[in-house]
Amino acid sequence: MTTLLNVQHVSKQYGHDTLALSDVSFSVNEGEFVSVIGPSGAGKSTLLRCINQMVDTTDGEIHFDNAILQQMNKRELRGLRTNIGMIFQHYNLVERLTVIENVLHGRLGYKSTVAGMLGLYKEEEKERGIELLEMLGLREQIYKRCDQLSGGQKQRVGIARALIQEPKMLLCDEPIASLDPNASKRIMDHLKSISRSMGITALVNLHQVDVALSYSDRIIGVSGGKIVFDGSPKEVTQEIIQSIYGSEANDLMVKLGGQNAI
Amino acid sequence: MDAKSIQQSSTILRHSKSNRIKIKPFSKSTFVLRITLAIMAILTVLSFATINFQTIDFWAGLVDTVTNFQTMFTTPQLNHFSFWEGFYAVLITMGLAFLTTLFGAALGLLFGLLSAENLSNKRVSNVIKGSVAFIRAVPTVLWVLIFAVAAGLGSVAAVIGMTFHSAGYLIKAYSESFEELDEGVIEALRASGASWWQIVVQAVIPSSLSYLVSWTFMRFEINFSVAVAMGAAAGAGGIGYNMFMASSFYFDLNEIGAITYYILTFAVLLEVIAIRFKTNISGH
Repeated sequence: MTTLLNVQHVSKQYGHDTLALSDVSFSVNEGEFVSVIGPSGAGKSTLLRCINQMVDTTDGEIHFDNAILQQMNKRELRGLRTNIGMIFQHYNLVERLTVIENVLHGRLGYKSTVAGMLGLYKEEEKERGIELLEMLGLREQIYKRCDQLSGGQKQRVGIARALIQEPKMLLCDEPIASLDPNASKRIMDHLKSISRSMGITALVNLHQVDVALSYSDRIIGVSGGKIVFDGSPKEVTQEIIQSIYGSEANDLMVKLGGQNAI
Repeated sequence: MDAKSIQQSSTILRHSKSNRIKIKPFSKSTFVLRITLAIMAILTVLSFATINFQTIDFWAGLVDTVTNFQTMFTTPQLNHFSFWEGFYAVLITMGLAFLTTLFGAALGLLFGLLSAENLSNKRVSNVIKGSVAFIRAVPTVLWVLIFAVAAGLGSVAAVIGMTFHSAGYLIKAYSESFEELDEGVIEALRASGASWWQIVVQAVIPSSLSYLVSWTFMRFEINFSVAVAMGAAAGAGGIGYNMFMASSFYFDLNEIGAITYYILTFAVLLEVIAIRFKTNISGH
């Protein structure tokens, strides 16, 4: 398998003394489904945003698809970002616009400034958007305004917007943190099947350890801006959970014990 | 409640002198508020008590004013121009308001985007906000008179002066509407490789459209009343000039009444249109 993403000794410092990430290194293969777990404030979101350079790194290098992000100029960076789709906890859709308009926003990076401003999309792009919405079960909602959708539906629109970019990689920042268990399962199933069937690499930040364990090919545990675990879900033990979340994670360990028993 | 818990709560709770429980503890801000209210009350009483009517008898003056109002509003009459001439004059005033609002909105949109902190950098934003605060601090009439130095009293000075102040007002109003926008939406589009202008047109403006429309209509209403005043004060033409003539040249109370009705009708119409427009925008 070829390596798609290679993060080498990356550090990120906010201000003078807040170190969000310190000397983080890992690599992700093409088509892999990787979950990043860790307590709030551990640096998961920062890590994700360093990969598409929404946050610039203080130190280290990130290689994506044989290019080094730190050497790119603004224009090249825009090009890079079209190759990386992003999904957010709060969906981040333009609420007043329709579902299909929001989906097509994913194509803006490929367009000239004027064509993008005026919303001049090609017929193929529109057809692709509708195809994706049908795949995600949103056929009925194509012309609905996004503020009329439920949380789970909004997140599926978010996924469609990311997929229409034809990305090599999906970055998902807490995709199910604001959803109920049913919607969460549906979203995770979609992400997993997308990753499988389209061969898209996924890097997912998660709060739910049990979800991460059951869906991922690999788990990366982050704590205090450092990677404390990097391995397959089978290797995750109670001691490891404790090293990621600290000694107060007793409830989580109980849950983990129960799941392992099954 | 047992004795112990009563004793505990009495150490936390504060009581007034008559042993009732206070719900608003004494603090610096309530003290300042009370002092301010007391001073204002004293000043009000004092100013009414020491008011100097000079030679005017208060009650006779009051009766005269009411009689004047009665003449104006119960017997409106046009003496120096026809109904359609008056209508045309109101249209000119309306045109002045419309033009200056349009110019102001165009400038407001551009500089509003540049001065919104989430869309621009801090330096540019602060420079624009600072200069705009200065523009707004000077009243519209004064701007018109300032530009009258170069352009002479008349419609040109009125348009430039009113545009200036409208732009100042709308830049602030628009940029605050843009700043209300959810940061995440901008982030999402930036992360997909969209450029600044694409984000502005595709996300920022649609999201804040109802705010923009309401502020623009608000300014249109202000500009309409300013345009009436400009007709009188700066010779900008329109119904304001007719009113100025009727009041200080002909001393024609009936005509002033008629002109007031003209202005009132148009103001109400404007309000109705504005409300219709806003409901259309915020619906779908």
